[in-house]
Amino acid sequence: MTDNAVKTEERRLPRVKPATDIIEKDDGFYIFVDMPGVSKEALVIDLNEDELKVSGKAEYPLPEGRKLGHVEFGGGEYFRSFTISHIVDKDRIKATLKDGVLELYLPRHEMVQPRKIEIQAG
Amino acid sequence: MVIDLSPFYGSSTPMDRLFESLWPSMAISQRSMAYPPLNIGEDDDKIYVSCEIPGMDIADLDLTLTDSSLVIKGERKAVKGKYYRQERPTGFFQRVVNIQAAVARDRVSATMRDGVLDVVLPKSDESKPKKISIEAV
Repeated sequence: MTDNAVKTEERRLPRVKPATDIIEKDDGFYIFVDMPGVSKEALVIDLNEDELKVSGKAEYPLPEGRKLGHVEFGGGEYFRSFTISHIVDKDRIKATLKDGVLELYLPRHEMVQPRKIEIQAG
Repeated sequence: MVIDLSPFYGSSTPMDRLFESLWPSMAISQRSMAYPPLNIGEDDDKIYVSCEIPGMDIADLDLTLTDSSLVIKGERKAVKGKYYRQERPTGFFQRVVNIQAAVARDRVSATMRDGVLDVVLPKSDESKPKKISIEAV
């Protein structure tokens, strides 16, 4: 029994780099991270200075009596970090997790909104 | 179905199966395979098909159960914008799972949680092994 517990402890989840999209729109930057199987509770987002770290764990424990006949995916520890540019307003970063996709919204600082310079005819 | 995209297609020879059995520990991201990845499992009275499709609403998924197969169909739509990096797949996808056992079609259920689709197909009573009692005369 104790042997079994040790074994499961040792069998660590594989580390997976989640597929990510980085998109710029008029109102700021959007980062989409595919993290299937990760619940809100298992997701950790860390912002340290310019470093944004995203990690999450997906586990699929096999219920008693069930056998897997064909396997193409399994649990994993997702991890990815991003370096954030100074034009992002760090206080207004928003994160939402829906259907296994993490959406990070990184708005620009108000001051760095692109500004057209009017040219006056002399 | 003209094109067989089922996970069992193409790996029916003993050699292929041997090859697959040597590779189970390989990282998931390195395997080339059909999208979306799916797992098939079973217990005594149910067949379980689970599938990793993040970002999909169950309403946008098209699940069809025919006599001998389960078809999972859908489209992953891309967000409009200026892309700096794109790794997440987009577009139409389809997977066909061949099911040999008789399934109680009216009790099939599907749920979607955190981007993982779970389809539960209860085996019908006819496909369950039946014990025959022998009476001593």
